[in-house]
Amino acid sequence: MIQLIAKRLGIMVLTMLVVSIILFLALELNIESVAIKVLGPYSSDEQRQFWLEANGYTRPVLERYLSWAGNFMMGDFGESVRFRVPVSDILWDRLSNTLILAAATFGIMIPLSILLGILSGMKEGSFLDRVISLICIITTSIPEFASAVFLSAIFVFSLKWLPGTSSMLMGFDVMQLILPAMVLIGYGFGYVARMTRASMAEVMATHYIRTAVLKGLPYHKVIFKHALRNALIAPFTIIMLQINWLLSGVIVVEYAFAYKGFGALLLEASLNNDVYLIEACTMVAVCAAVLTQLIADIGYSYLNPRIRFS
Amino acid sequence: MKKNNKHRYVKQLEGEVKSGQTSRREFLRKSVLLGMSIPVAYGLTGLSMSESVFADNAKKGGNFRVSMRVQEMSDPALFEWSYPSNVARHVIEPLVQMGNDGLARPKLLESWQASDDLKTWTLNLRQNVTWSNGDEFIADDVIFNINRWLDPKTGSSMQSQLISLTHEVDTGEKNDDGSTKMSRVAMPGAVKRIDKHTVQLTLNKADIAIPEALSSFTALIVNRNFTGDFSSNPVGTGAFELVNIEVGVSAILKRRADGLYWGGDALLDQITYVDLGDDTSVDLAAYVSDQIDYSYQVSADQVQAYETIPFIELLSAKSATTGIARMNVTQKPFDDVRVRRAVALAVDNERVLTIGYQDLGSIAENHHVSPIHPEYAPLPKLSRNIDKAKALLAQAGYPNGIDLVIDCSASPSWQTNTCLAIADQVRAAGINLRVNIMPGGSYWDVWNTTPFGLTEWNHRPLGVQVLNLAYRTGAPWNETGYANPEFDRLLDQALTILDAKERSKVVLKLEKILQDDAVMVQPFWLNSYSAVNKRVKNVVLHPSFEHDFNKVWIDA
Repeated sequence: MIQLIAKRLGIMVLTMLVVSIILFLALELNIESVAIKVLGPYSSDEQRQFWLEANGYTRPVLERYLSWAGNFMMGDFGESVRFRVPVSDILWDRLSNTLILAAATFGIMIPLSILLGILSGMKEGSFLDRVISLICIITTSIPEFASAVFLSAIFVFSLKWLPGTSSMLMGFDVMQLILPAMVLIGYGFGYVARMTRASMAEVMATHYIRTAVLKGLPYHKVIFKHALRNALIAPFTIIMLQINWLLSGVIVVEYAFAYKGFGALLLEASLNNDVYLIEACTMVAVCAAVLTQLIADIGYSYLNPRIRFS
Repeated sequence: MKKNNKHRYVKQLEGEVKSGQTSRREFLRKSVLLGMSIPVAYGLTGLSMSESVFADNAKKGGNFRVSMRVQEMSDPALFEWSYPSNVARHVIEPLVQMGNDGLARPKLLESWQASDDLKTWTLNLRQNVTWSNGDEFIADDVIFNINRWLDPKTGSSMQSQLISLTHEVDTGEKNDDGSTKMSRVAMPGAVKRIDKHTVQLTLNKADIAIPEALSSFTALIVNRNFTGDFSSNPVGTGAFELVNIEVGVSAILKRRADGLYWGGDALLDQITYVDLGDDTSVDLAAYVSDQIDYSYQVSADQVQAYETIPFIELLSAKSATTGIARMNVTQKPFDDVRVRRAVALAVDNERVLTIGYQDLGSIAENHHVSPIHPEYAPLPKLSRNIDKAKALLAQAGYPNGIDLVIDCSASPSWQTNTCLAIADQVRAAGINLRVNIMPGGSYWDVWNTTPFGLTEWNHRPLGVQVLNLAYRTGAPWNETGYANPEFDRLLDQALTILDAKERSKVVLKLEKILQDDAVMVQPFWLNSYSAVNKRVKNVVLHPSFEHDFNKVWIDA
């Protein structure tokens, strides 16, 4: 296991290295473009030249990359063009906001979708299976921007139970978390539940489950001891992908509810050509992606001892 | 203005208003511009003042929550949008403030006086004003600011508004074409300290728009020791202090703690600006769930929705705010006037008003001077002419039509709708116009460089002010790259004529030049809309969306 983790960590570092080189070349190879983004379109040639020299942009590309990567590893991401503060001052706050939203979503979505997936897959074709499948297909088919409007119309405008925006201006308010979490749960749970159902149905049709039932094991033992562990291998991949999605793919929901999270920050950085903020957000998103992949690999080997990554 | 210092033209105006030659509204505007106090001017006309006042039952306290984009605000002289100015105006103030009635009022000035030839303006400063750092507000502060605005290194749009205080000098460098590189700087002695509380401006030509220029949202007065970053050192003369600003999130202002505000304490304890993003429908949800009390702007397509909420009061104001689909005349294919004319001829402005703005505004005429501007001169009605547009395109080398792209902001939605309506209109002339919809923040990065884009221009009280800002050769906000010596000459001439009727004769020529050169398609003028929770009192919608909440109070 230690060998596996070490190997995966090595691949993770390599992946991040490659991504960082691509990112750096894409955003900072053209130094004139960097100067314009930082100083704005009104800046004069003299101002840009002065800024480039003062910030070491006249050095060779390799030297600049090494310096940039070194600063990055030390937590110095540069200063945001739009916010006029160090990137790290904004990044971690926004990331923690998104983590709160992701945790709330994940904490409800995953148990709910696994439960419904198991119930559905246990007796394929039953009435319960059809009802659950229908609900899953409907919720997953509605895009987030549409469900945000529908849910706001119901809970904000009609019932007046929930706040319409989630800016958390007066501090953390759990009520402001409900609507964005509901939208995300609605969009994501059907997918995981359907995957769980398919996997469960496949396992339930195997010979060893039939044998377990025929030899007289209690049904709940068949499900929990024999079927579930094998049935979770396929959904596990999907669940791991949901973490990535919840960290950097929830831009629409954060925008619709004015939630000040990582997705909204990434969008704002991109729209405003905030070069250092884009770099930091991208590297964080990549880091989250490779970390979840590492966790998924470790999880696989636990769920299925036959899997060896040698 | 002291009675014995009454400008000679004011005396003439008094006679004209009595004989009916000049309207009372026109008398008000001119007399106030020449230094007469607002109450006296209103008194002479018999009109009622619309200025907001404290009610007897006004209550102190409360947090006023306003939805508006919160932008970076390091240098007030470089503001490009009224958002940062609205936050800053509660901390740093202008010398002159434009009222909701379109009249200029002294703010940090006690009064001003213009010489008979309109070339010398004397600014009399308020004497009881104290900066939040304890400094006394004096002439040095005003001189520091005006010199800063006029310095080309600052890059402020104020320079073109105060152009009569500047002259061109040889920089000693050469342009790419070998010609002498010139720079516009303040004239020696143009800004002079008379005494501790008096500043004199000496212009190289008469300029009627000095008070209006001093009321611009870029004309907020910073302390004489300002070092270039207002957000981190927000010293001000205003009724509030900037407690915290987080760009893209919120800005918090609290009532000045030292109790030394010259205008008496503000009623609100706190003003909180909250940034809810570009999507204006979020504002509606925030109102309904009582998360905000006021919003910067309500888009026209949401007016009906707001009218259904019982505790919301919809505010509206006629304005010279507009959106111009402007073409940059220095960039291909718009460097060919035939292409520009073809675009303009292919558009029916009335139809665009209906589709883009639900007929909630009034038709414009592609020259950026509004019927509510005092010097507006009517021109023959524009009419769509597809055949002529096609012929012009063919002459320009596009017999089979042309593909164009127009950039516009996604929010407010009327801007997108307007561009889509224009694209639909020009198709008949063989112009395939693709609309590139950009979220608000990103459009403002390209607004002055894009070849073709729809830009929103805020209301300004005088037509010549807008023309001076947007179409004068080399002006910082000249987004079209337009450069026409004849236009500049006529504009100079118009800026010296006080009488609106006389000025409109010159403005007519300016309007015609802009129409003929087809610098823009300007389909309509907007009405301004906003909304406020009914428990908030004394909020008046300014036609330029300027905020001043010193007299606002909350009936808790």
